[in-house]
Amino acid sequence: MNPSEATREVLWNISNGWIMYVLLVPTMAIASYGVWIRYKSWKQGLPADGRLDQPMRRLKYLWNHALLQRRNLRQKYAGIFHAMIFWGFIALTIATIVVMIDHDFGVPIMRGAFYLYFQSLFVDLLGLIALIGVVMAGYRRWKSKPEKLVYTDEASWIIIIFAVLMVTGYLLEGWRIVATNDPWGAWSPVGYTTGALFAPFFNIETLEVFHVLFWWFHLILAFGFIAWAPFTKMLHPLTSALNIYASNLEPVGGSLKSIDFDTAEIFGVNDLKQFTWKDLLDLDACTECGRCTDACPANTVGKDLSPRDIILDLRGWLHKGSNGEVGLIGSTDALQSDRLFECTSCAACVEACPVSIEQLPKIVDMRRFQVMEEAEFPETMQGAVNSIEERQHPYSGSQFSRADWVKELDIPHASEAEGAEVLVWAGCGASLVERNQNSIRSLAKLLKKAGVKFSVLGREEKCTGDVARRIGNEFLFESLAKENINTFKKHKVKKIVTACPHCFNTFRNEYPEFGADFETYHHSEFLGGLLKEGRLKITEASERRIALHDPCYLSRHNGMTDEPRELLNNVSKSPITELPRNRKNSFCCGGGGGMSFVDEPSDKRVNHERAKEILATEADTVAVGCPFCTTMMEDGINANKGDRKIEVKELAELLNEAIPDE
Amino acid sequence: MNILVCLKQILDPEVPVRDFAIDGSGLQADPNCANQMTNIFCENALETALQLKDAHGGKITVLSFGPDSVKDSLRKGLAMKANEAFMVLNNTGHQPDSAATAKVLAKAIGKMEPFDLVLTGREAGDWGAGQTGGLLAEELGLPYSAFVDEIEPEGEDRLILRQQTDSGWNKISAPKPVVASITNSDHNLPRIPKTRDIILANRKPLTSWSLEEVGISEDELAAEQQKARIKLLSIPEGKSDCEFIEGDSLEDKIDNLAERIVAIARSV
Repeated sequence: MNPSEATREVLWNISNGWIMYVLLVPTMAIASYGVWIRYKSWKQGLPADGRLDQPMRRLKYLWNHALLQRRNLRQKYAGIFHAMIFWGFIALTIATIVVMIDHDFGVPIMRGAFYLYFQSLFVDLLGLIALIGVVMAGYRRWKSKPEKLVYTDEASWIIIIFAVLMVTGYLLEGWRIVATNDPWGAWSPVGYTTGALFAPFFNIETLEVFHVLFWWFHLILAFGFIAWAPFTKMLHPLTSALNIYASNLEPVGGSLKSIDFDTAEIFGVNDLKQFTWKDLLDLDACTECGRCTDACPANTVGKDLSPRDIILDLRGWLHKGSNGEVGLIGSTDALQSDRLFECTSCAACVEACPVSIEQLPKIVDMRRFQVMEEAEFPETMQGAVNSIEERQHPYSGSQFSRADWVKELDIPHASEAEGAEVLVWAGCGASLVERNQNSIRSLAKLLKKAGVKFSVLGREEKCTGDVARRIGNEFLFESLAKENINTFKKHKVKKIVTACPHCFNTFRNEYPEFGADFETYHHSEFLGGLLKEGRLKITEASERRIALHDPCYLSRHNGMTDEPRELLNNVSKSPITELPRNRKNSFCCGGGGGMSFVDEPSDKRVNHERAKEILATEADTVAVGCPFCTTMMEDGINANKGDRKIEVKELAELLNEAIPDE
Repeated sequence: MNILVCLKQILDPEVPVRDFAIDGSGLQADPNCANQMTNIFCENALETALQLKDAHGGKITVLSFGPDSVKDSLRKGLAMKANEAFMVLNNTGHQPDSAATAKVLAKAIGKMEPFDLVLTGREAGDWGAGQTGGLLAEELGLPYSAFVDEIEPEGEDRLILRQQTDSGWNKISAPKPVVASITNSDHNLPRIPKTRDIILANRKPLTSWSLEEVGISEDELAAEQQKARIKLLSIPEGKSDCEFIEGDSLEDKIDNLAERIVAIARSV
């Protein structure tokens, strides 16, 4: 027995093997047709810019999130069994290709050490891992039954077919090993063991008959599955991979598309053809896993919004060919207009999706249709939009003016501030809400302590348009963006610091398209820089136990999770209390996407859910870095804290406390 | 039916107290201390007209008397789906009173095709006089009803006006043409214009006349203003005092509080 000659006979015990090749033709024809009709349906979408550029970056992304299953593995049970099945099938596919190269192309590679270590041992064990994965999947679907799964016959059949294919594969391998008395059989331990279980009870002739019958059964089932797969969610190995490749490589905060109002025939989306091809590919990439809906704050507190169901219902229409005359919005439960307006635009869904589906831009696209074409959206949001139109801020009824917070601070206006390093942008949320004026004042005081020369715009500030854009009034957003950019140009503003992550995101990710040419910093970033440079020095660290609430528009939308932590690092003697849902996994305060201006039902409030999470820690201080978060968390905490002593503090307030006046 | 809706542009009634300012003359609010916007009751009037048009057809014209900025209000009216807009430009820098406004509006209406129905808001959010509608009817020599919140046609030549009263409402049958001032109700909440209509509103006709063109001189306007004059406009000074009532027990504190209240009430 020379290990260098180790191999096995391909098509052992099978006569008329040619039938397999004949069957392969219709199999591949049906499967190709299935893929082709899907491809054709994506092609009806509008162009999507920049989704196929930077191939190296995209391949790396594909490597991480498809092959290495990084995002998928964030979830323990489902992530692990999926990876087991996925990697197992990759190994089995490679092994099949090896057989094809060896047997059909006549290149003898299935030999020797490669045969023993890879083709036999490695593939045999990976197959077992995949089988265990399939069993775990079955357990979840039929025993533990988590609520978020979609229970279809299709999904059940997929698991059954997988299990049958794998079990019959091992039976075939085992019987062959026994019948041929394969000297290398032990290198395939699972197959070898399976064979050994049969050997005492059946003679070789019987096993050969079993083998022939099961071989053809296995083949027909496998081919049948290949032909069927493109018509099921088992198309996802292809679509999910494509979708991951075509991912949005920019920050999530910059993923909303602008509209060319001179040429657009329809504002927003109410028909599949108004989506881009990438939006349509998204729909077919969905594996129904439900992580988006699980992560959705609106859904978590019992509202009806479900990003997964939105994707699945849109996919339903895509597969039916169109949504006909009816229009998408309101055509199904998940696509009801009032559900679309429950979204806080926090992007938890986008972050949670293991296959890079972008639910948020689609929700905003449909909101645009409701707002701009139909003018039908919640009255309270209409009030906010109306106020932005009339007064350039959403806080109708505010008794404050934009210049109020500056009083007694002696800060020059941008027009008279020669040589100012930066412009401090307060934003509506800080200047027009009394509570938040202290936050922005703290920022100003810190800059003064650091000797930073800065200016403000006072009454010349207008809403950045973030609220209008997320609600769906793109037209209003665009006009505000242009007006603000003109103001910045007029005063030659080159650098902006703001304490509002929403303004920050809009400036950094959305204004450049409209001609902005300035740098923007969130104050956590800018103040952190001043600490590093030694221009600010913490002298009085407190005893506070600080829990940090990551703002969505900083963490998820812009990937900035270290900045607030670095800023808080030495503010207190105790380390930061990390919340269970933190960093990019943070849970929304409930105030984004125009929801700050909506009265939520008292039993379904996003801020209360988050407040309870915070109150479950030992913290006595909640650090926030956003004016919306400040208001929402303060309301939520005060409503739930009882006798507990705990307060909500803005990052700048905390830092300012730790750096007392000299 | 041919409907005219008069729109008044006013200073944002929600202007924060500390932003509110009086201009150098001491007689009127500083027009720059806040944004200009359409008076809400005028928008209720436009909404009432739009609903009438939606149900029974017809044409809506919006008219305003004021500085160049009233174009914004008129454009918004067009975006809400009025058909045509007219304005009489007031570049005197003075804010006219109800009588002067009614005179100018009546002159402008005289230049236009006849209307079946002329609507104004119940009153404006700046002065709240509530006079323009009635005075305009007087100038036009037409019947008038105030506090109307619903209008229905009655045959070819008459309209039924529903008028809010303290105890309910009156339904009044009036011959066309008629003037009505509109109050707000649940069903005339102004609609939000669609973005498409906002964009298209810029392409609709908007005619601007000078005072001379409608046949009234600046002097005549000034003379009209002499009938009721504002002597002085001032912002009340807010004063607040805080006093803590002491006492040994709760009952004590309550007694002391009651005594103190009585003392203050007597001193006022």
